Amino acid sequence: MSGRRVDAKVVLLGQEGVGKSSLVERCAHGRFRAGPYQNTIGAAFVAKVMTVGDQTVTLGIWDTAGSERYEAMSRIYYRGARAAVVCYDLTDSGSFQRAKFWVNELQNCEEGCRIYLCGTKSDLLEEDRRKRGVDFHDVQDYADEIKADLFETSSKTGQSVDELFQKVAEDYVNFSAFQVMTEDKGVNLSQRNSPYFYSCCHH
Amino acid sequence: MAADVHKKKSWEVPNGSLAPGDGQHTERSESPTPGLAQGTEPGAGQEGAMFVHTRSYEDLTSPEDGAAAARSPEERRGEPAEQSSMEQISKDFSELSTQLTGMALDLDEEMRAGKEGKLEPSPQTARRDSVLSGKEEEDVTMDAWRSHRKHVFVLSEAGKPVYSRYGSEEALSSTMGVMMALVSFLEAEKNAIRSIHADGYKVVFVRRSPLVLVAVARTRQSEQEIAHELLYIYYQILSLLTWTQLNHIFQQKQNYDLRRLLAGSERITDNLLDLMAHDPSFLMGAVRCLPLAASVRDAVSSSLQQAKAKSLVFSILLSGNQLVSLVRKKDQFLHPIDLHLLFNLISSSSSFREGEAWTPICLPKFNSSGFFHAHISYLEQEMDLCLLLVSTDREDFFTVSDCKRRFQERLRRRGVQHALHEALRTPFYSVAQVGIPDLRHFIYKSKSSGLFTSPEIEAPYVQEEEKERLLGLYQYLHSRAHNSSRPLKNIYFTGPRENLLAWVTNAFELYVCYSPLGTKAGAINAVNKLMKWIRKEEDRLFILTPQTY
Repeated sequence: MSGRRVDAKVVLLGQEGVGKSSLVERCAHGRFRAGPYQNTIGAAFVAKVMTVGDQTVTLGIWDTAGSERYEAMSRIYYRGARAAVVCYDLTDSGSFQRAKFWVNELQNCEEGCRIYLCGTKSDLLEEDRRKRGVDFHDVQDYADEIKADLFETSSKTGQSVDELFQKVAEDYVNFSAFQVMTEDKGVNLSQRNSPYFYSCCHH
Repeated sequence: MAADVHKKKSWEVPNGSLAPGDGQHTERSESPTPGLAQGTEPGAGQEGAMFVHTRSYEDLTSPEDGAAAARSPEERRGEPAEQSSMEQISKDFSELSTQLTGMALDLDEEMRAGKEGKLEPSPQTARRDSVLSGKEEEDVTMDAWRSHRKHVFVLSEAGKPVYSRYGSEEALSSTMGVMMALVSFLEAEKNAIRSIHADGYKVVFVRRSPLVLVAVARTRQSEQEIAHELLYIYYQILSLLTWTQLNHIFQQKQNYDLRRLLAGSERITDNLLDLMAHDPSFLMGAVRCLPLAASVRDAVSSSLQQAKAKSLVFSILLSGNQLVSLVRKKDQFLHPIDLHLLFNLISSSSSFREGEAWTPICLPKFNSSGFFHAHISYLEQEMDLCLLLVSTDREDFFTVSDCKRRFQERLRRRGVQHALHEALRTPFYSVAQVGIPDLRHFIYKSKSSGLFTSPEIEAPYVQEEEKERLLGLYQYLHSRAHNSSRPLKNIYFTGPRENLLAWVTNAFELYVCYSPLGTKAGAINAVNKLMKWIRKEEDRLFILTPQTY
């Protein structure tokens, strides 16, 4: 699309309050905001340029709202995504069940989407190990089963956040030769109005 | 489920009568007073209005059955046009009995009684900052909970709690059960409960199936105004869910717990209630513009207009809760209530500060059955200038996002950014600019454009309670002027701490606050002068040339 070229669509999914927006904030701006919790309304889009070897890749990151209200239309945010970062709170086992729901959703609707499991708020475990609500090995087994990568991150300290998005970008570059072909087909079939729109945007 | 911009509900009547015809106000008289027909008053748009045309407060508050809209033309014809000439007005004022002054004393007593003793905790301390962990709810058995000036409850017809302004909904489930019992008891008799007045409290019920909204207030607002606020809460809920979805849910499952779907939106509703207590926009049913030189505003509007896309319906630029510019699709009018809901959505969340938001939103007054998709972003970090692009197509994010880029580029090319920054530095003007010594504050609304203007609230209304007291006085005058059984056109109110004047005509509404030392004659002279000043400044204070794509 004119104006901003996005190479890979990346979507963040997960229960509300697990820290998806904080993860994006850390990744895009290198910041962490302590303040009161602010839930995302709808979804927020941020473009992030990554470097892989001598190539640059622009990730178009969709930070979705965790609220159930938006569940019905979450598909518009993950449709065509190359990567999904499915987040859960390391201290909250309920949020991991929710993550499994999103994984199923992706496996059913977006076969071409690579899944990255992301346990958030690891700094809380540094303070007190007993706070861990989701066992590392259980998740590791689950990740192997669904062929996903697993990261445990802290947006507060920045731990593993850059690694996560770097991996997303590298995987995109390494697998892109195969995916470009499938994308071209997909776009032509699904976006009925697109040629029309492009021509009127470019004049 | 995209909102259909072409399908209008019956109450919205054919477009011709939504806004005054273009030819109607080509003759703009120099003096604002003689024969002020609607559409020629200061602030009236020169090329049609931006908003759904609401002739009166009653239009805004009436149920959406079109009764008010259908009634008002007849009413208008019946009213003599010479009513608004200045002499007539002064005569009306002098004939006005002292009855109102007498009433003012009662009112003041009532206010003193209200002020005594109970120091409420500030809303911030009571505010739940999270729907998740760390949510601190008030204990509903404590006196502090009881002493809030206005409680608002929303429940489903099954008596299930949906929202409570203070305290957790669970703790209040039995209270809400009682409320539902009251409603059903009267409905069983083919009757409807509207309000209960007891012990200085007004309990107001608004029934919008499948929801029941209840306010328990000891403010001085009229029952009608409290009901109006409850309707705003109802529309707020619709804006998140749509009317269609809301009804569908409860048809499927009568005892559904709606809080699941509304999770995280409490903050938006809380903010709306706080805003209504401070911002006269809601009382006036109108929108305030950021004061801006007409040339700058025109440049901004044209830039917005040029950055269009097929799916765009409204492009709105706002700052604080003031409108900078609004460009709309031809023949589509925004309702002030819908715009207020958008303002509230943006002011209640800091999450729009990052990146670009793309969110489904229903504009219930426009079309309560479907979602629009709104692109929300701030133009620059650290600058309070928010752009809202409302699209019908949820797949159109990148096209709409590109509109934003094009808008910013045009703005840069026209070189108005600096002027815009300057204007943002002084988002309010001082009443001293009018040059009337006894004048403290005023609210002026142009009915045909749906816009109002008002200076900054200055000394002696410095503290929050004082500001709320002033708004309370305006609310009181407003409710007297719009009392459905005995509406008033002119009110002069003498109080111990200020004098106020209200003047409501077909074309405009004016509420003025003076120092208590002035006289009625002085006040009337000042109105004349004030109207001239507003006329002189109208191109800065209002949007006179609204644009369409």
